[in-house]
Amino acid sequence: MFVGTVVYALINSVILLLMAIGFNLTFGISGVSNFAYGAFYILSAFVTWMLMNWIGVPYFLSAVLSIIFTAFIGAVMYRFILIRVRGQVLSEVIATFGIGLIILEFFRYLGFVGIEYSLPVFIDHSFVIAGTYVDMQRILIVVFCIVLILLLWLFIHHTSIGLAFRGIAQDERTALTFGIDSDWIAMLSVSMGAALAAIAATVVVPLGTISVGEGYDVLINALAVCIIGGLGSTGGVIVASLVVGFAQRFTDTYIGPHWTMIVSLVAILLVLIVKPSGLYGKQKELEERI
Amino acid sequence: MSGTPLLQVVELSKSFGGVQAVNRVSFDLHKGELLGIIGPNGSGKTTTVNLITGFVKATSGKVFYQGRDITSWSPHKIVRLGISRTFQMVKPFYQLPAFKNVIIPLYSPRVKGLVGGKYGDRSAVALDLLEEVGFERDAQVAYKVASVLPQGYLKRLELAKAIALQPDLIILDELFSGLSLAEVASIVPIIEKLLLEGKTIIMIEHRLKEVFRIAHRVIVLNYGRLIADGPAEEVMENEEVKKAYLGSED
Repeated sequence: MFVGTVVYALINSVILLLMAIGFNLTFGISGVSNFAYGAFYILSAFVTWMLMNWIGVPYFLSAVLSIIFTAFIGAVMYRFILIRVRGQVLSEVIATFGIGLIILEFFRYLGFVGIEYSLPVFIDHSFVIAGTYVDMQRILIVVFCIVLILLLWLFIHHTSIGLAFRGIAQDERTALTFGIDSDWIAMLSVSMGAALAAIAATVVVPLGTISVGEGYDVLINALAVCIIGGLGSTGGVIVASLVVGFAQRFTDTYIGPHWTMIVSLVAILLVLIVKPSGLYGKQKELEERI
Repeated sequence: MSGTPLLQVVELSKSFGGVQAVNRVSFDLHKGELLGIIGPNGSGKTTTVNLITGFVKATSGKVFYQGRDITSWSPHKIVRLGISRTFQMVKPFYQLPAFKNVIIPLYSPRVKGLVGGKYGDRSAVALDLLEEVGFERDAQVAYKVASVLPQGYLKRLELAKAIALQPDLIILDELFSGLSLAEVASIVPIIEKLLLEGKTIIMIEHRLKEVFRIAHRVIVLNYGRLIADGPAEEVMENEEVKKAYLGSED
């Protein structure tokens, strides 16, 4: 049982990393806390479902179209709402959380509730790893996440937009003096974050059903991982995904499944008390601020 | 000087709440000129520069660059026209080595527009630029991350970043502040060289001696108003300027 728990803890960690990477990218570049992140995840899954089941678009094409659509909604949200409140953290949180609530509760109002709302797995197959059955979808999630992280790294370090991303992330004023349009880059970062939420949904949702409640869980998980790792720190998010992923899976196995979300929240609280800026956070510690 | 000015500031004003930081300031700047902007603390020098470069939106008045109205344009658009600037409080990308700080402006839309995106080895260009502003190549200072550099090098780095943008107008905001006399003396020839290359320069300074030595013209601000405009020796004879610097005897 122990080895099986470790295998599934690793997979759970990768899923958490996938869920958090978009939130972290947006915050790390533009400083925007996108609390509509979980809603974008669910929006993308429902759009894929609708394209497949209502119009008959093939699965792969539906997924690609829903990722593009979600990225577009992220850009629209920045262009028409966030641009006016950017820099005012509380206003950003309220605005994005409000948008997220509208999206999620609108789906609930329309009756998108039930087990029929699910996406098919990519390949229906399973393997035995260290004596534990692991389905192909979970293995694909791990491979997909590694490829995605590599592509993101290449994008950030080897493209001119990536250079602009890094410039804005380090100092917006200096980046402006180089002719970098900070609002355009911030919009791109929100849009890319939304697209990453949609990509995560595309590969993770086939493991279960599409439910409105999952949107809130995704947001809490993304927040837990990013806060524990240190907001904006990629290395921190990877380490925190492992910490939370293992904690959740071991809690699930040895204590009870209803405790897993509580573990994430307690982990946030503990880290905030011991290290307010997160494990690898660059924000100032409390004693430095006084 | 005759002909159309490179930069025209017309009745420019900015108020922050009840404070009139810049009050109907007007002046012209011609190509190849070095204009010094001086004045006591809080006189509106930096705000004037922030208004010209788009970091602060004007309450009223106009800024024309090469005859084009650029009032309230975004900073990134103004940079693309050919106006670069330094800041009094330097803010490099602290996590990057000095030469990489200079590579970033070499990738800017301004430079790409000028050289068509083909710059060759940008690292070599950045290292040359840093050597030009006083980074000794042998000491490998250019390879050190900006966070460990002393103030003198950070100021030089700020200058190199501004030059890397290949601007027509460079605005230097208190470049000499925090530097020793020897450091200032070593930077003055760099500024003189930029003038010889045809650049136009605005210098905000408190180090009056050095500004007077190299500026073609000086304007003096006090409480947001322009109180004098002319050659350095003429300006310093102005009674209002003396009063602003030395205080009234009343």
